[in-house]
Amino acid sequence: MSLDSFAGRVVDAPGRLLGGRSDDEHGEMAGTVERWAAMLGGTALGVAGLRRGDWAGMALAAVGGGLFLAGAAGMPVAAPVRERLRDLGEGLGEGGLDRIGGGVAGLIPSARREPTTTQSVVTIAAQPERLFRFWRNFGNLPKIMDHLEAVEIESEKRSHWKAKGPGGVRLDWFSEIEQERENELISWHTVEGSQLPHKGQVMFKPAPGNRGTEVRLTMAYHLPGGQSGRAVAKMFGATPEQQVREALRRMKQLMEAGEIATIDGQPSGSRGAYRPVIGEK
Amino acid sequence: MKALCYNGVNDLRVERVPDPKLIGPHDVIVRVILSSVCGSDLHLLDGYVPTMMPGDIIGHEFLGEIVEKGPEVRNLNRGDRVITVSIIGCGKCQYCQNEEYSFCDNSNPHPQFTEKTYGHACAGIFGYSHAFGGYAGSHAEYIRVPFADTNCFRVPEGVTDEQAVFVSDAAPTGYMGAEMGNIKPGDVVAVWGCGGVGQMAIRAAYLMGAEQVIAIDRYPDRLKAAQLKAGAEPLDYTRVDIYDALQAMTGGRGPDVCIDAVGMEADGFDTGAEYWYDRTKQALRLESDRPKVLRQMIECCRKGGTLSIVGVYGGLIDKFPMGAAMNKGLTFRMGQQHGQRYVKRLFDHIQRGELDTSYLLTHKWSLDDAPEGYRMFKEKNDNCMRVVFAP
Ligand SMILES: NC(=O)c1ccc[n+]([C@@H]2O[C@H](COP(=O)([O-])OP(=O)(O)OC[C@H]3O[C@@H](n4cnc5c(N)ncnc54)[C@H](O)[C@@H]3O)[C@@H](O)[C@H]2O)c1
Ligand SMILES: [Zn+2]
Ligand SMILES: [Zn+2]
Repeated sequence: MSLDSFAGRVVDAPGRLLGGRSDDEHGEMAGTVERWAAMLGGTALGVAGLRRGDWAGMALAAVGGGLFLAGAAGMPVAAPVRERLRDLGEGLGEGGLDRIGGGVAGLIPSARREPTTTQSVVTIAAQPERLFRFWRNFGNLPKIMDHLEAVEIESEKRSHWKAKGPGGVRLDWFSEIEQERENELISWHTVEGSQLPHKGQVMFKPAPGNRGTEVRLTMAYHLPGGQSGRAVAKMFGATPEQQVREALRRMKQLMEAGEIATIDGQPSGSRGAYRPVIGEK
Repeated sequence: MKALCYNGVNDLRVERVPDPKLIGPHDVIVRVILSSVCGSDLHLLDGYVPTMMPGDIIGHEFLGEIVEKGPEVRNLNRGDRVITVSIIGCGKCQYCQNEEYSFCDNSNPHPQFTEKTYGHACAGIFGYSHAFGGYAGSHAEYIRVPFADTNCFRVPEGVTDEQAVFVSDAAPTGYMGAEMGNIKPGDVVAVWGCGGVGQMAIRAAYLMGAEQVIAIDRYPDRLKAAQLKAGAEPLDYTRVDIYDALQAMTGGRGPDVCIDAVGMEADGFDTGAEYWYDRTKQALRLESDRPKVLRQMIECCRKGGTLSIVGVYGGLIDKFPMGAAMNKGLTFRMGQQHGQRYVKRLFDHIQRGELDTSYLLTHKWSLDDAPEGYRMFKEKNDNCMRVVFAP
């Protein structure tokens, strides 16, 4: 079932999307299943509102994001992230990070919320099998996600992700595969204690008219306070929306063209400062 | 190496820049032998295509010799004499597979610009602003060509450099302009603009079965070339009313197919008020393109006829006569050229003597004189149709 078709329905049947994980599997994150389900359920709506928008804004997106936030309330912000944000001078809303981090995210007026779930889709001229295989090996993801340095596979389900931001910030976290349907869907989430709690899901669906596969990537960041988008942007130099789109774009280029187009390293004339010229107009 | 660099609006300088090197596995490096100016460059130089940066190397219509190739280049070798299509295809995406190379999904490293402004990203183009990828252009001693197997074509024996260079851009653009007109035997075709692109469109229209082609411009040398080299009936828009003339020449029906080979900087001396309306709005950035030719084509074209647009537009136009277009049931076709689709056909026509491209080359100059060459081309001095630089 596609994410879109979940909009407005998922809240009724959260377990179905997430494959019936038990509620208290992650200790402190009690109610995880419902929360993630609510976030993904909010996705289609949030994304519809976000089309072309940015992270601050639009009422429709706020509603979609709000659904997520309701689910996310009560999740403490990991200390390193909180410190990093403070270093960057990034307050999380009116009361600041601490108060919101204390678990009152659901109380932020909806107009102040920012969506924390983002989704992008691209059509790739390749069979779902090939794309699924590429993605299932998380070790491939640094090739298409700029902020990742490496992803080490630790077991069938568990992987260790190492990221770096433009300011030299380093973060790492462990993820677990949550659901996997051969050639259709992979979802994963960070394990308890991660510095940047989030969840990802990639879906593969044959495109009509023999045009390959529609690949839909959803990322849901699990910071309370509704400021996750900005937090991620500060840390990695790109908003979650940009990251998701860029990852899909790079994957498409790699899978189709066998390389990622670039002009880095090509010659140019003087970019402003005077350089001796041979002839002038 | 030497290269011609953009430094600001109508400010070009020949500078010394680093030599290009292979970057991607499908790249080649071409030693440039001939590199032509194109009307599209004038839109860049006049500042109507945003996202140019000082230091950008311009030029996109060129012929040269392959001197280096990346590890995954299959069909080309060092020493090959090749032309390169100005608009870059990856060869693998759905659009490239359909031979719609200028729609390529993968060749533009900066897709965000056109994605934001046009809704979807367009292909990369050599030397044609960062919105179209920011690729260094061909007015240089060497150029790097990405996805070379898709974009470089060996020039057949017996075709000269001077004939072949225009198979890069002007010839396929004119050819596609005619093809989009879906010309049927007996059709009368009118072509606005007798630059390199218009000249090629006239010839291509005849090759596709047009009964008669009418060519519109104001420069006597270009109209003369259209008549003598391409076989068109010339019309000088500064001396006749184009609508009246076209109706008179087509029994009151209007041309079956109208081709725009002028683009966003149309002149308009015959209807001064309209020209100055658009010129003023364009200068104030209230309108980015001057759509005079488009309006005229809509008025002149026969009911149910086709407008084929290869002249380049970049942004917004004003006072578009939608009512006339709708009620006359016109078909609009347009686009940047899918050159790779036409190269073989064009070389065949050239080899059989059916298409003469070489007369577009009116001046062959050293790259050192390129800034002056562009001034001549822009002002249409000295009967310049296209000046080609040999580094
Ligand atoms: N679609 C593509 O892929 C592609 C490729 C190459 C060039 N182009 C475009 O094609 C157009 C022509 O290119 P070119 O190299 O021949 O340019 P050019 O500047 O040499 O020729 C343009 C001609 O149009 C004439 N003109 C101006 N206003 C006119 C009017 N109102 N009515 C009739 N003619 C008029 C000019 O006098 C000139 O002779 C440009 O817009 C260029 O950007 C498009
Ligand atoms: Zn051109
Ligand atoms: Zn392509």
